[in-house]
Amino acid sequence: MDAATQDMLKNLFETKLNSAMRLYLETCTHCGACVEACHVYNSMPEMRYSSVGRSEIIRKVFLKYFKLQGKIAPWLGETIELDDVTMDRFYDAAYSCTGCRRCMMYCPFGIDTQMIMGIAKLLLIGADKEPKLLTMLADMSIAKGEDAEASKAGFEEAIANIEPEVEALWKTAPGKKTIPLNVEGADILYVALSPKHSIIPAAAILNAADASWTLSSFEAVNFGAFMGDSKRMMAIAQRIIAEAERLKVKTVAIVECGTAYRVMKQQTGKHPFEVVAFVELIAKFLREGKIHTTKNIAEKLTYHDPCQVARNGGVYEDPRYVISQIASDFKEMTPNREMNWCCGGGGGLVAMGELEFRMKSSRVKADQVKASGAGRICTICENCQTQLTDLSEHYELGVQVDSLANLVAHALIQE
Amino acid sequence: MESITAVKVLDYKGLSCPMPIVKISMEIGKVAVGDVLEVHTTDPGSIADFPAWAKTTGHEIVEIKQEPGLIRIFVRRKK
Repeated sequence: MDAATQDMLKNLFETKLNSAMRLYLETCTHCGACVEACHVYNSMPEMRYSSVGRSEIIRKVFLKYFKLQGKIAPWLGETIELDDVTMDRFYDAAYSCTGCRRCMMYCPFGIDTQMIMGIAKLLLIGADKEPKLLTMLADMSIAKGEDAEASKAGFEEAIANIEPEVEALWKTAPGKKTIPLNVEGADILYVALSPKHSIIPAAAILNAADASWTLSSFEAVNFGAFMGDSKRMMAIAQRIIAEAERLKVKTVAIVECGTAYRVMKQQTGKHPFEVVAFVELIAKFLREGKIHTTKNIAEKLTYHDPCQVARNGGVYEDPRYVISQIASDFKEMTPNREMNWCCGGGGGLVAMGELEFRMKSSRVKADQVKASGAGRICTICENCQTQLTDLSEHYELGVQVDSLANLVAHALIQE
Repeated sequence: MESITAVKVLDYKGLSCPMPIVKISMEIGKVAVGDVLEVHTTDPGSIADFPAWAKTTGHEIVEIKQEPGLIRIFVRRKK
């Protein structure tokens, strides 16, 4: 690595050094409380896969360049230089961490390892060493926003083509559009993903509740967040924010996608609309008697709390209430809620492939699912759903994995 | 329009997000420059995803055909 690149990376590092980050980098006492908290370490017990092990690489670079001790006595505390080997270690640390923040629950100082990994991710972008697949996906999302008009007619046709599948779940009231698009003044903007399975059940539920809603032209997922690139993250989110503001909606309901929810809810500033996870709307519709469901799931069902919606988003009870309205034999996994094990597919790992690592590093999750004794598992994150399906196949768990919204859509009672 | 002959048909129906784009990104490198791949999908979002992907990666969407239950996207490798 040449000196100019090293200087550029040091400058990038410095941009991340706000007071919270300095606190996280300076207060770790190496007590080890976080070590066992990481699903990767639990499944593959090497210190580089522990929270403290990951963060230590960043800390040693921090010590080298941003602390007096490192500048005058670099041999104390084993400082390390920013070079190509260090960048490889940054990659190993940042992209073996799913950003689930379970370790934060155990740390006596509440050190946020995901935030520390944000330094590694930013410097990897600076060094042009970030996962190119994530860059490509993020840039695709941004390009989509720049040229939305070009695909408008085709998207409308595609949406019209899936309307019969919504009607099969719920007969829309006469005079109402099955999947409304571009409706100014609608109460709710529902932001889905690209696949139709993220649209059809939600449309049926929204229509069953007789909600005033409109479907977003954009997908909710944010690959800029996965790659730790705040500029790309905001550019992707801004497409939806601008659409919501143009349509003057009151609520933006995010599809079952953990990262999409957390980005829109917590990382894009204040908005003139509220942001909810779709499950929160379902629970509201049920509580207010706007939709009615039958308990048509008799098989033992368990629930996976997605890290970004539950531990990092605070949505714990609404999914459980919704499940209580559709299933007669619910069994919690242990631990659950804020202490739940990450599925192991977050942080961009599912999009990046990484099947072998995802399976090895999530053995503890597979064990947890197996111990529940459930034949079915549902969740409210597409990423988790993919990972849990892969885990079920890899570890021969024989568990059927479902989207909660899809289960609700199939339990709707039309009187 | 001249008829398009695809060297391979790729079945991406029912895949989870973002697998259609991940998979086409890998498949496009396996065919010769100028060759066309035919993608079958059911994702409404792919109508905009594929052109945006082509724009950012320098490939070409030759045509998109829709019918109930199926979206066919013809992708030409350009480089």
